[in-house]
Amino acid sequence: MNFKLAIASLLTVAIAGGVQAQALPEAKPLKVPFKLLPSRHMLIEVTINDKGPYKLIFDTGAPLNIVTSRLGKETGISKRGGGGIAALLSGGMNQVEIGTMQLGDVTAKKVAAVVMDHPTVKAISDAFAEEHGTIDGIVGFPFFARFATTVDYQKKELLLSPRDYKPGNYIEDLTKSLSAAGENAGQAKVVGPAGLWGFTLAKTKADDEPSVAVGEVYEGTPAAAAGLKVGDRVLTIDGRWTDTLGDAHVAVSLVKPGRKADVTLTRDGKPMTLSITPVVGY
Amino acid sequence: MIRWWLLALSLGFVPGLAPGARADDDAKPTADKVKAAEKEYAIPYRLTDTKHILVRVKVNGKGPFNLILDTGAPAVFITKKSAERAGLDTDKDGWAATDSFELEGGLKVPGAKARVADLFQLEGMNGMGLAGVELHGVVGYNVLAKYRITYDFTADKLKFVALDFTPPAVNAKGKDNSQGGLDLLGPAMKMLAGFMGIKPNFAVEPRGFLGVELAETDGKLAVKSVVKGSPAAAAGLKPGDLITGVSKAFAAKGREPGIDDLDRLKAFGRWVEPMRAGQKAKIQVERGDKTETVTVEFGKGL
Repeated sequence: MNFKLAIASLLTVAIAGGVQAQALPEAKPLKVPFKLLPSRHMLIEVTINDKGPYKLIFDTGAPLNIVTSRLGKETGISKRGGGGIAALLSGGMNQVEIGTMQLGDVTAKKVAAVVMDHPTVKAISDAFAEEHGTIDGIVGFPFFARFATTVDYQKKELLLSPRDYKPGNYIEDLTKSLSAAGENAGQAKVVGPAGLWGFTLAKTKADDEPSVAVGEVYEGTPAAAAGLKVGDRVLTIDGRWTDTLGDAHVAVSLVKPGRKADVTLTRDGKPMTLSITPVVGY
Repeated sequence: MIRWWLLALSLGFVPGLAPGARADDDAKPTADKVKAAEKEYAIPYRLTDTKHILVRVKVNGKGPFNLILDTGAPAVFITKKSAERAGLDTDKDGWAATDSFELEGGLKVPGAKARVADLFQLEGMNGMGLAGVELHGVVGYNVLAKYRITYDFTADKLKFVALDFTPPAVNAKGKDNSQGGLDLLGPAMKMLAGFMGIKPNFAVEPRGFLGVELAETDGKLAVKSVVKGSPAAAAGLKPGDLITGVSKAFAAKGREPGIDDLDRLKAFGRWVEPMRAGQKAKIQVERGDKTETVTVEFGKGL
């Protein structure tokens, strides 16, 4: 447990860095051009601690930033190498903080990364080295989550606008979800609305329509005020499909009280859209 | 020890297609053509516990399937089981055409093709339930490139703008390139989960319902209104009651737990969070100059 905490606090510090963009918030987004590799990966040039530029892959599916041990050594972010999978399995993960990362017009400071010679990165690098040079890692979630990031494959550019979002701590969250998996021992996850709506939903086993039925509408509630009726078939809440009771509860768990949400439904077979604003309550 | 395995498994989602296939990359767009399409969609997403961007997709009207938006993947990948559920026919190279491919939020992607394969990363994550939700595949370049997509985690929707742009086809054969041993981790994780007694359950159970509108004023948590006919009304809660404490839930024949102080909205929310329909608990309130304790039985509803 102490070990877990030690790691968690270590990483919290590493991730608490700020973003320094060379523009005011909501100014024109910052542009980062990319090249598209034949494997369809986006290749970007990144200057790290004023060294480089290095070629990295921009990957929305990567929960971590990863750099090769070569890059780690050259830029002074890590004295020791990351090693490959074998080192990782024996506990030798090398978590570091990158001082500054520059991509196109964007500068980010104190970015968490892992030094690791990832076999997939190496395979891609080897395949395209002749034309593009060595590829030294992956830019993932802890970087791009700090921005509103737009990917445009037609213009081959990324547009970034700084946002006040904390990417969180990957390892901490993983540990949490793993211990939750252990504690709950196969129990279903309980999910409830973030506010008070004022109606009940029903779905029988035999009901295989892609919607849920309204069972009851409570008097004087937001649902009643919006005109929801018993028997309405709810198709979506706030743009999310509500084919099951579970799905409907996930949808209402994401609507904060006071925010208006569109509810699409069919009433006597006719499509309708209502707006319901849940209030504070349970 | 296990932590490092997890990490290795969910690192850099880069499903391999033989990268050799050299396509003519530039479908040359003209500036005025760019403006033509531009239809905008608000796509609901969720961030998984593994920091993956999850969207829901109905394939051939079946699903919804949970797919990760992954620019590190050259195409849509979908698990064999999901492909079977959607009734997809797979050709000899492992590709399947879809009749319809609809993202939650109302976006129908015309002519979407998918690779049918069980990615080791998904297998491993699902084996342990790491993402907090079952994963059925990824959405990669062949679909992502048709849209200008904005990822903003301070917003609850992604913005997809349809481009007048046909991404060059991804024709690579289904030969996976080497994952340097990483690919052995998927099955290993599944086995490990078995040894550890982890049986992921991805089902969602609706939380119990009270029927009470709340307000926090001057540092006090007050009942603003009580929904007529609700469990809160049945328990005898009244508008104007100030909530000062709650008990943990107790089962019908279990010993009744004591009351803990609680007078803040946030704390009340955390208390309510795990309650299931049918569970009983106590709420202590100040009413006028009296302190009362009521027993509520959570019901169904929202």
